[in-house]
Amino acid sequence: MPDAQTLTLISPELLLSIFGLLILLVDVIWREKSQSALPWLAILGFALALAATLYIWGSNISLFAGMYMVDMFSLFFKVVASLAGILITLVSIDYLRQRTPYRGEFFAIFTFSILAMMLVASSASLLMIYLSIEFLSYTSYLLTGFLREDKKSNEAAIKYFLYGAVTSAVMLYGLSLLYGVTGSLNLTDIAAAFSATVDSTVRMIALVSTMLVLAGLGFKISLVPFHQWAPDAYEGAPTPVTAFLSVGPKAVGFAALLRVALTALPQWVLPAPPPAPVKEIPLVLAVVSIITMTLGNLIALRQTNVKRLLAYSSIAQAGYMLIGVVAVNLTGNSPFSGLNGILIYLFAYLFTNLGAFICVIAIENATGIVEIPEYAGLVKRAPLVAALFVIFFLSLAGIPPTVGFIGKFFVFGAALREGWLYLAAIGVINSVISVFYYFAVVRQAFFEAPKDATPIRLAPLVTLSLVVSAALVLAFAIYPQPLLNLAAWSMGMVK
Amino acid sequence: MIPLNFYLILAAALFCIGLFGALARRNAIGILIGIELMLNAVNINLVAFWRYIKPAGATMDLAGQIFALFVITLAAAEAAIGLALVIAIYRSRDTVNVEDVNLMKW
Amino acid sequence: MDLIVFYLFATLAVIAALGVVALRNPVHAALCLAVVFISLAALYVLLSAPFVAAAQVMIYAGAILILFVFVIMLLSPGVDQGAGALKWQRPLAAVFGLALAVELILVLASAVLPAARGQYTPERLAQIGDVQAIGALLFTDFLLPFEITSLLLLVAMVGVIVLAKKRVRS
Repeated sequence: MPDAQTLTLISPELLLSIFGLLILLVDVIWREKSQSALPWLAILGFALALAATLYIWGSNISLFAGMYMVDMFSLFFKVVASLAGILITLVSIDYLRQRTPYRGEFFAIFTFSILAMMLVASSASLLMIYLSIEFLSYTSYLLTGFLREDKKSNEAAIKYFLYGAVTSAVMLYGLSLLYGVTGSLNLTDIAAAFSATVDSTVRMIALVSTMLVLAGLGFKISLVPFHQWAPDAYEGAPTPVTAFLSVGPKAVGFAALLRVALTALPQWVLPAPPPAPVKEIPLVLAVVSIITMTLGNLIALRQTNVKRLLAYSSIAQAGYMLIGVVAVNLTGNSPFSGLNGILIYLFAYLFTNLGAFICVIAIENATGIVEIPEYAGLVKRAPLVAALFVIFFLSLAGIPPTVGFIGKFFVFGAALREGWLYLAAIGVINSVISVFYYFAVVRQAFFEAPKDATPIRLAPLVTLSLVVSAALVLAFAIYPQPLLNLAAWSMGMVK
Repeated sequence: MIPLNFYLILAAALFCIGLFGALARRNAIGILIGIELMLNAVNINLVAFWRYIKPAGATMDLAGQIFALFVITLAAAEAAIGLALVIAIYRSRDTVNVEDVNLMKW
Repeated sequence: MDLIVFYLFATLAVIAALGVVALRNPVHAALCLAVVFISLAALYVLLSAPFVAAAQVMIYAGAILILFVFVIMLLSPGVDQGAGALKWQRPLAAVFGLALAVELILVLASAVLPAARGQYTPERLAQIGDVQAIGALLFTDFLLPFEITSLLLLVAMVGVIVLAKKRVRS
């Protein structure tokens, strides 16, 4: 039986489990009467989990025989996960009302998927990483295919599932080899085993298994060549789920990647004596990053469906974030350590992208429109949405005064510091390309005449979540200090 | 005593056969069966490593076996979800071939 | 003796696995899969992991396979036709699979892994390698993953029922 201190430290996770089960229970007992209360139950759960996370803020402790780390790095992701949970639930309420009778099950599964995000962020053992990533994947597959009468939703789910299951099996094979060469599942023991060995075969196997693990995580992050699922899954999934897919798995993939890289393979990022096992990996990641951002941006230029456009844009964004991983260097006290760049970028990307998707949901809910040509004259029909689209797109493109600029600044800064000049240059060129397709949407919305000039009525909850995410995007751009501190504290996980 | 490498090579062979199956089939159920083969290969690795490798620390005494048990459990959940999706798609359009599933670009 | 048993079941597993991916009829493929599962269970016994062997037979052969066969019967997907829209798919998959196989086997065959001689004595195995020891670990050191798995199975169950059940609640 875990003691009271342990229970306090995992209280965000416990709260979400309890609320997830509670939603199922209330749904079963009261059925119709409880339908409108269920999302609020989920929101209450997320809010309490957020409060609990802030209560244990500053902890740095390893639990359950070293397989679960409650540190600033994981707490950062828990804050992000609960905020994303609240925003997405708010916009799902109206969206789901007409589309599925199984709303209780939807909100329960969604609560558990936020729980899974928190679990991944804290996992410090190969078993926990596998288990919690799979947990998140399974809930994502279910949510993607949740509109069972909708052919596109079905198709999106089966494609997502088949891709995901194959890549996670590949990742699992890599994890089993990592266990084999080190004799342990705990990341810290694995690091110790690696630094103790000079054997070139072990080094070889470590390299092969890291590549296999990267395949699995690359799928979550949607890196090329594991990105093909993203556009179809994004287009077909219920739009609030698409918003979740574009942020949840990505954040979690980076959390796991960073945790494995920085804890288990420190020679990757820290100067190590000659038998350093995995020096080739940053180079591979740099190449993947270049291909991912270029391909994502070029294909995004040709999209006409706004959900597919955002899908390719999110693939490109993953490429930018990967630059931070390539350039991670935690020695010295530089503000451009790479790690803080990724965290700031992730935070910026999450709320910007959520905001952009909430705009899409607002329009889709009211009119069913998801094709960009039909956005013509949006500024006359829904001025607030059109204006916020501009803010979110500025932030996605990395143009000040938005939080996206701050993220890109720190990521590209880290690349320059580490001497990855061409990587930073390609990143900047790609950001410029991205401006074209973002502003193709803006041009439609502002400078084309509307075919149908009836104003679009927004649901109050959607407006609320729009305003909240826009406020986050602008506030942290004007006053980024809390975000910078947050990222700096989160680096405490690496000794 | 059988050398550890024998098990590892068997696992590698099964894994690659499974991967081939998963990539070459067009039938969703066939792909799922390939994935099951891959997961089984992982389990051979885990149990063989457990038997042969010196564990790092006391809590890792049975880690390989326990990991294998978790993999088996998750494989069951994964198969159930996959087959449920197959049934849902079959109901909506009467096919299980992924190439027929092409409302969106594949 | 051990070596003969290993070769027997390893060969059986590989041949059956080839059958799984080569046979066009899904029922035949599923039956081959059963042979793979059971040969692997035999190998787990050889590795002195009887509990994993039992779980393998019960869950893989007993539950997962039955689920597959049920769905195959229910949907009768018919024979997987060879050529189709994705002609490049099969050769490409073969190239990938072979390349990975060669790479893995080369690496693993040359591997001199630490203590690759079987570290456990029969006494030690008798002491730790049984159901009791696994159960005790699951409820102590591995408590967290164990509990998470229970939630995961619940979620999977709820989701699968929503997706696959017949009539939609109005």
